[in-house]
Amino acid sequence: MEQRQQQAAGTPSKVKRGPVHEGMRNHYLAFVVSIVLTALAFFAVMTPELDTRFKYSFIVILAIIQAAFQLFFWMHLKDRGHKIPIMFMGSGVLFVVTFIIMAVFWVWW
Amino acid sequence: MDWLTTVDHKKIGILYLLGGTLFFVLGGIEAMLIRLQLMFPESNFLDAQTYNEVLTMHGTTMIFLAAMPLLFAFMNFIVPLQIGARDVAFPFVNALGFWTFFFGGIMVNVSWFLGGAPDAGWTAYTPLSSSEVFSGKGNDFYAVGLQIAGLGTLMSGINFLATIINMRAPGMTFMRMPLFTWTTFVSSLLILFAFPPLAVGLFLLTFDRLFDANFFEIGAGGSAVLWQHIFWIFGHPEVYILILPAFGIISEVVSTFSKKRLFGYSSMVFATLLIAFLSFMVWVHHMFTDGLGPIANALFSVATMLIAVPTGIKIFNWLFTMWGGQIRFTTAMLHVVAFIPTFVMGGVTGVMLASPPADFQYHDSYFVVAHFHYVIVGGIVLALFAAVFYWWPKMFGRMLNETLGKLAFWLFFIGFHLTFFIQHILGLIGMQRRIFTYLAEHEGWAEMNLVSTIGAFFMAAGVILYVLNIVITSLKPRNASADPWDGRTLEWTLPSPVPVYNFKQLPLVRSLDAFWAEKMAGNKEMTPAEPVGPIHMPSNSILPLIMAFGFFVSGFGFMYAKHDFANDFVRMLFENHIVSIGGLVITAICMILRSLIDDPGYHIEPEELESKGVKA
Amino acid sequence: MSSHAHLENQPLPAEPERATLEGRNKITGFWLFLAGETTLFGTLFATYIALRNQTLSGPTANELFDFELVALATFILLVSSLFSVLAVNAMHKHNVKALQFWLFATVIFGLAFLVLEIYEFNHYTELGHTWSKSAFSSSFYALVGFHGAHVAFGLAWIASVIGQLFKKGLTTVTAPKVYVSALYWHFIDVVWVFIFTVVYLMGKVG
Repeated sequence: MEQRQQQAAGTPSKVKRGPVHEGMRNHYLAFVVSIVLTALAFFAVMTPELDTRFKYSFIVILAIIQAAFQLFFWMHLKDRGHKIPIMFMGSGVLFVVTFIIMAVFWVWW
Repeated sequence: MDWLTTVDHKKIGILYLLGGTLFFVLGGIEAMLIRLQLMFPESNFLDAQTYNEVLTMHGTTMIFLAAMPLLFAFMNFIVPLQIGARDVAFPFVNALGFWTFFFGGIMVNVSWFLGGAPDAGWTAYTPLSSSEVFSGKGNDFYAVGLQIAGLGTLMSGINFLATIINMRAPGMTFMRMPLFTWTTFVSSLLILFAFPPLAVGLFLLTFDRLFDANFFEIGAGGSAVLWQHIFWIFGHPEVYILILPAFGIISEVVSTFSKKRLFGYSSMVFATLLIAFLSFMVWVHHMFTDGLGPIANALFSVATMLIAVPTGIKIFNWLFTMWGGQIRFTTAMLHVVAFIPTFVMGGVTGVMLASPPADFQYHDSYFVVAHFHYVIVGGIVLALFAAVFYWWPKMFGRMLNETLGKLAFWLFFIGFHLTFFIQHILGLIGMQRRIFTYLAEHEGWAEMNLVSTIGAFFMAAGVILYVLNIVITSLKPRNASADPWDGRTLEWTLPSPVPVYNFKQLPLVRSLDAFWAEKMAGNKEMTPAEPVGPIHMPSNSILPLIMAFGFFVSGFGFMYAKHDFANDFVRMLFENHIVSIGGLVITAICMILRSLIDDPGYHIEPEELESKGVKA
Repeated sequence: MSSHAHLENQPLPAEPERATLEGRNKITGFWLFLAGETTLFGTLFATYIALRNQTLSGPTANELFDFELVALATFILLVSSLFSVLAVNAMHKHNVKALQFWLFATVIFGLAFLVLEIYEFNHYTELGHTWSKSAFSSSFYALVGFHGAHVAFGLAWIASVIGQLFKKGLTTVTAPKVYVSALYWHFIDVVWVFIFTVVYLMGKVG
């Protein structure tokens, strides 16, 4: 595991132990999950036997899961004090869903 | 020089007031030209091309360069005061937002002198606006100028949000914030989400026009309706961005001059949030006649009618606030009392338009023009005038003349209804939008258009009186007290005009209507939340102005990259993108300087504070 | 303004980026900016989705895109994003040397991604997939190009942060800059997840 390393630019430091520093394990987990999900998506698309509609839904779901891992772990959304960012990002995502619906259904008919 | 380098939210607010007023007058002149041309059938006061340019610029200027900046003026000046803060979260970015808006506005309007203004309507539908075959170079100015101005708006939206989230005085929870602050917050939320789609749309338009892209090029597989979607995904929230702060102003003024707390505070907050979310779900109601089909039309029709519900809640809450109150009909209150029925009229025609089968008849007729002028002029502009009379003493230390104000109001208000009520009828009997003239054979059109134009003259007279009031008042000495209206919110605890640091000591907030609560408890002042100490202020900077100028130069570079200049040297500069890249380099250098050179600011010491406060 | 925390002679706090009001404002403001960027990229995605089949006579997505190259680029960007996690972690441990190292690694891998992308675009133009070929090509370059521009800007930004760390060290003024640039970099990778899914993978599915 990570070795606790003292210090920075000359000033004495009282490094707090606690949730902030146990987090590296979760970050490596998020990395591995991202790799796995990406690989899964690629292999799904490269497999001719699978149904096209299934491929579309599958890779989108994988992408959403991977994005969630990166947002919540790497960008600290799961940590305390992130209510406001979650609300705003969530709203943004909601609006984007309507844009996608627009693009799929209401541009060509 | 101080005004060019200021990062003080109060000065920036006044700059927005000046800039917004300048463009309001410009837009008003454009409106008068429209009405003059339409006064008589088959008039050739303006030819068709010029009329299209005047029409486009009237809409574009009024919405982007007049209404928004004027609302920003009050949001900038008042909100930090209402939450007990000393400035906004990002004072530098605040200044940058103003200068970017200003240069964007100049760019759009300089088109008048450089070959013609944009002429495809403020909505710039493709392929009319995206093809240089169909529309003139003016539309380059539209795309690039609004892009620059839009950047400024987005920055300011983020600034207000961060300020309200992080910098409220101790004790001011979200549910103790004044309604004007709440509506600023929600409006900024809408700006945050609606302006990026506009930016994308304008980029796509710019690329189609200047760089041979094919987003809207039918022959290359592009889609004209895509522009409409993207534009209205921005455009509909935009009108709520405009009206929500106006609603906030109404709430403040109505409770102060009814001497009664706002009725139904929680439901007002909830209604504001609901309006904001719904506003992103209704944009297709501008596109009912596009042929998207009955399912799409039905969905958006229902969503549009739903928005009327929270708006109705607000109207009832204002009425219930007045009911049983001690009403004082100051000029500000007069505007508010006039706003309520006028806005309702605009709102109900909106519900009429929300029905697709009916809208097939109303679309592109003067009925629509009447509707949106009722909500924008009868709504936003009346609220802005109310804000001017309400907050002028706080901003400038002087009271505007009430008699002149009321006279101006009546001229403007009567003129407004004369001009726009009859346009409902004109629309119903078939007069189309955006036509530069009409035949005498049309029964009633000539008479109604004449009445409409006469109303416009009344409105112009009213506006002149408003301006005269401001000029006359400026010549008088500063005579306003800190709290001329017996106010309820924190801005009235400060001297008029406000010292540069706002609060000598940040206040402790114990309730909604923070100041009123203290008054009712027998206190003359707020309880301070901190001891008197040195106050740290940010330094002025010329960088925001230069950065905005860099964008301005770059915009010209892109627009004229392929232009056939007479002078070889100039052509070389533009062709090789030296001007376009150069402008961006200027901006980038300023950004780098800003990042590398830390601003230590300066301190105001307690001794200076004790001696009647420091005025900038 | 409320007083700066003048911390020259005090120990650096555990989360130095949040120690001052300015730092907290910057982080809040940046999250707000990212929320706006979601609708910005959302609109570009919508445009791409709407126009992706309008290829005219030009090469189609299936013909153009290559699994290996996209997989490599994705991996490089992902690793780069991990490096910036390590950088922020080092910052929280007040290890300035490690912080600078990991930021530098982030930039190197980010540059590799960009180089690969420039090569890719160049290759496409040789195949006839140019900016002005069709609605599909315009929307492809708009979406993926905008992302690439964001990558380039991010690299310049992080490089500038590295420079500032050398000059000023880790303080409550430079810490928010590190944190915020890392947030930006992660966001760029999140957007890429959707780009490789919607543009490249869906393009290969057909």
